[in-house]
Amino acid sequence: MNDNNRTSLAEIGEQYGPKEKLIRMCRQNRLAMVSAIVIVLIIVLAILAPVIAPYGEAQQDLLARLQPPSAKHWFGTDELGRDVLSRILYGARVSLVIGIIPSFLSLVGGILLGLLAGYCSGWIDYLIMRLADVMLSFPSLLLAMAIMYTLGRYANSIICLFAALSLVGWASVARVVRSQTLSLKETEYVEAARSIGVRGRRIMLRHILPNCIPSLIVLYTLNVPSCILAESTLSFLGIGVQPPAASWGLMVNQSKSFLFTMPWLAVFPCLAIMIVVLAFNFLGDGLRDVLDPYLENR
Amino acid sequence: MKIKAICGALFTAALTVMVSASAVMADDDKVLKVGWNKDIQTMDVHKTTDNYMVPLNIFDRLLEVQLNDDGSTELVNSIAKDYSISDDGLVYSFTLRDDVKFSDGTPLTAEDVEATFTRMFTLPESVQTDFTTCIKGAQDILDGKTDTLEGLHVTDDYHFEITLEEPFAGFLSVLATPTCCIMSKANLEDAGSDFGVDPAKTIGSGPYMVTDWVQNSSLEMVRNPYYWGEPASAAKVSVKVYPEASSMDMAFQNGDIDILDCDFLDTAIVDATYETPAYQDRIVRINRLGVYYYFLNEALEPMNDLKVRQAVQMAIDREGILNSIFGGNGVIVDGIYPAGAIGFTEDNQGWLKYDPEGAKALLKEAGYENGFDLEISSNSNASQNIKNILQVIQQNLQDVGINAHIENYDESSWIALRKSGEMPSFVGPWTLDYNDPSNVIDTFYGSAEATKGRSLNYPDTEVMARVNAARAIVDENERLAEYAALEKKIVEEDAAWVPLFSLQHRFVLSDNIEKFIPHWAGYGDFNCANVTMK
Amino acid sequence: MKSAVKRVISMIPVLLGVMLLIFIMLRIVPGDPVTVLLGEHYSQETIDRLTAAMKLDRPLLEQFISYVLGVLKGDLGISYVSKRPVTMMILQALPYTVKLALMAAAFAWVIGLFAGIIAAVKENKIPDRIFMAFSLAGVSVPVFMSALLLQYIFAFRLKLFPITSDGSILSMLLPAIALGWNSAGSIARLTRSSLIEVMQADYIDTARAKGLKRRSVIFGHALKNSLLPVITMMAIQLSSMLSGAVITESVFGIPGIGRLATTSISNRDMPLLQGTILFTTVVIILGNLIADLLYSVLDPRIRSQM
Repeated sequence: MNDNNRTSLAEIGEQYGPKEKLIRMCRQNRLAMVSAIVIVLIIVLAILAPVIAPYGEAQQDLLARLQPPSAKHWFGTDELGRDVLSRILYGARVSLVIGIIPSFLSLVGGILLGLLAGYCSGWIDYLIMRLADVMLSFPSLLLAMAIMYTLGRYANSIICLFAALSLVGWASVARVVRSQTLSLKETEYVEAARSIGVRGRRIMLRHILPNCIPSLIVLYTLNVPSCILAESTLSFLGIGVQPPAASWGLMVNQSKSFLFTMPWLAVFPCLAIMIVVLAFNFLGDGLRDVLDPYLENR
Repeated sequence: MKIKAICGALFTAALTVMVSASAVMADDDKVLKVGWNKDIQTMDVHKTTDNYMVPLNIFDRLLEVQLNDDGSTELVNSIAKDYSISDDGLVYSFTLRDDVKFSDGTPLTAEDVEATFTRMFTLPESVQTDFTTCIKGAQDILDGKTDTLEGLHVTDDYHFEITLEEPFAGFLSVLATPTCCIMSKANLEDAGSDFGVDPAKTIGSGPYMVTDWVQNSSLEMVRNPYYWGEPASAAKVSVKVYPEASSMDMAFQNGDIDILDCDFLDTAIVDATYETPAYQDRIVRINRLGVYYYFLNEALEPMNDLKVRQAVQMAIDREGILNSIFGGNGVIVDGIYPAGAIGFTEDNQGWLKYDPEGAKALLKEAGYENGFDLEISSNSNASQNIKNILQVIQQNLQDVGINAHIENYDESSWIALRKSGEMPSFVGPWTLDYNDPSNVIDTFYGSAEATKGRSLNYPDTEVMARVNAARAIVDENERLAEYAALEKKIVEEDAAWVPLFSLQHRFVLSDNIEKFIPHWAGYGDFNCANVTMK
Repeated sequence: MKSAVKRVISMIPVLLGVMLLIFIMLRIVPGDPVTVLLGEHYSQETIDRLTAAMKLDRPLLEQFISYVLGVLKGDLGISYVSKRPVTMMILQALPYTVKLALMAAAFAWVIGLFAGIIAAVKENKIPDRIFMAFSLAGVSVPVFMSALLLQYIFAFRLKLFPITSDGSILSMLLPAIALGWNSAGSIARLTRSSLIEVMQADYIDTARAKGLKRRSVIFGHALKNSLLPVITMMAIQLSSMLSGAVITESVFGIPGIGRLATTSISNRDMPLLQGTILFTTVVIILGNLIADLLYSVLDPRIRSQM
């Protein structure tokens, strides 16, 4: 695609510093603010799960199976008599980690390769970008499925998910970073730095990378929910997280056939997925409006 | 331009396939509608160990197991009219019916039987060699020494003899399994690799023939016009694939399925929706001739300690598992043989009780008062039910102080680990292939290799020798007594098998079905000729 | 046009890379399919015999070369499990996926464009908020959830549609909506933002100043220019839909490409998985190429650059 038609950040919006931008965003976009609060809240809940969860993650009570929501079990119990609320709280840890870590890994990988490609040009650029093309050509879900299939025998399911989702995600990050690097490379201050003999690595890390950060924050925020959704989809197909660990996707998978007879089993984890995904999407949109209008809808 | 042209060709080809698929619509009146949760892989029984539905319907076996109304089973003649066994138990002489025809109208003769059994061993991709290598000369073919089966001798068109390597009392039962479906020699030769793939080139002598098969979607069978027996009640059988359980459930309630296999649904759904006044009298129950077991690896510490194994036997709340995960649809068994199967005896039942306190006491005696770490190995491709059983067992073991944790493996590494003899513990089901105690006990305790291959590592070679000798005991009562004694020794005395339960298999029938006799072993696959339509 | 040719040629290394990567990925695990195929019944002897029969004991390089040569001839190998040619299996599944993708894309385009235009025209008013909430829901609800819900309400409760699809247009409607909803959301969002941006441009003001009606400005001038990025997105979405909708096909029992992929994974059927991924990748690459070419044809600025 056409990655070169984007103007560099250096040319726009220089009248506001990053702090003012954030403050502006909070004022302008209440939705993004609320979303940020929701996300923080959920992260806190996930961290505090052992303290606040009314029951243990795997604590079974075979005599109290499949109970509808009640004062004792707010979200009801599942087929082994485990408390659904507690499992959602513990599941938040797995689901959030699966959203946050692979996005981070793909971000780091994408930044490194993108910088390298953009800065070095020549055959390194060609090689990296063709590799990115290859990765972007795969249907992402099928690719993740294939990676789970290959790695399944070497590592546990969560590590496999990390690998699958970050391998799927790095290429688009690399493209963005490369195109920004290309345009920044020509700017005066980079040329100035080069002319006084600053080394390549230093230019990349000190001068070019900081300018990419706003768009990367946006990309990252929007990548997290897609990882969470991908995990839920893989788990729905039975190739994601494995029991007895709890993740929201796995909980939906295990209860999908109860959806209409015992709705509490599937509905609560599903709502949890939706809330987190929506919150990250709103936040990402808000950040994009403020930080990087030129990344619009990519 | 080239790419476009290729694309165009692809699309045209694909559309043609679609049109021809939808053009096949039969006209007969009584249609039996069946639902599967996934498509079969092949119709060729030599290449599969679990897609038996089509082979059961389109092929005949020499003998057949009949399920009586009282639940008992008996071996009856099918296309074999008569047989005799020599006194030494080695030579089986068969007479074939002379009115059996394949669905292309050609007669079935002893030549076809010979071709079938030879193919079973010569076909490189054959997976159906486990039970039949007892035929003389079979091993030589597998070893590549020859390609003719020494133990099968054709006398004339309707007479042949099978000679065994050594006596084996379960052999007649083996002949009634799907493994021994009789195929047409001429058809096998002509069809080549299309056999089992192309319905028109997969021909048998059974009550039905396949007319159409759309991968991952549907399969259709109609009556075989040349069938030698009573014509089946349904003129056509229409199978549809429902990958999601909830879709299958809805489809049944909307009248799109006539026989609903409850195995495809979650037990809680079946109990909530179908164990109700509206459906209750339309549920058919059959004992599945199979057992669930929990295996401990005796080669590893501390499972090599008899007291530890006994403690584990006592620690597991089988009643709780059966009632919660399976809605109580089954019976607890205390032995190796499935409830209701030949070899199952009440004498060996009732000795094992759920007793967590007793288990703790035994562990204390054994010196494991503070418990120990134990891995329960889980196959990530296993059914939801098995994964749930594992989780309850984990809890049960933790309750008596054993620090059990579940480790997940992908299917192939799980199989590889188990085969290496190093898997610490796992849960599995075993369903009978043929109704004989040897089917279970040989598999697990028949040889050092067998017990290692299941990660049991049962050390008693004397017992293994007895297991092998039992196959050849000609007197039936004597043989069953020996099998019962072996069961007592292995389970009760050596605690080398943690027995769980045998389950019922439930089917729900629609209004269109008058009577349905499931497969005798409680498989989900069945012969559609055993269905009577209203 | 020269650069279009260059663009096509640049696909060749990508395709080769794709093939190599899939091959390496799926062949690190030799021996696998045999044990899984045999399940509970096996002996080492049978495993060895089958491994040899499936040519899995050959050196990797030999396997790869024969695979590439086969692919060039349109032969994607033989499925381990069903023993049928993979090419044939894909061709049988393709019509269902094509039908589903076309219907889903049509749904997404119509609804997405409509919602996007309305939202842009009524920017920051109530219709805008409603449509954008819907499109965000479309992006945020997991596909399996919307598929199961649609199936329950419209097929099971109201009995308006068959529960599973048999390939007829009627039975494909629900799956098409389930699959298209997501894309409709992103099209609506893109249309909206792109239209808003264009409407702020100078020439729109000029047009309005000339006294043209608002509606004719929107449809006559603004829409034409704002649709460029939308069209590109549509082409890319269509190609990703053509690569199979794993979940939708599974819920509605559609025997398409997505089902092939899931069954090949659960059966550990490497040639089938390999063939399916290769095929869908080619579809996506072609889709992206078409999107690029379309863009250059439609946008005079880029055309002059090319």
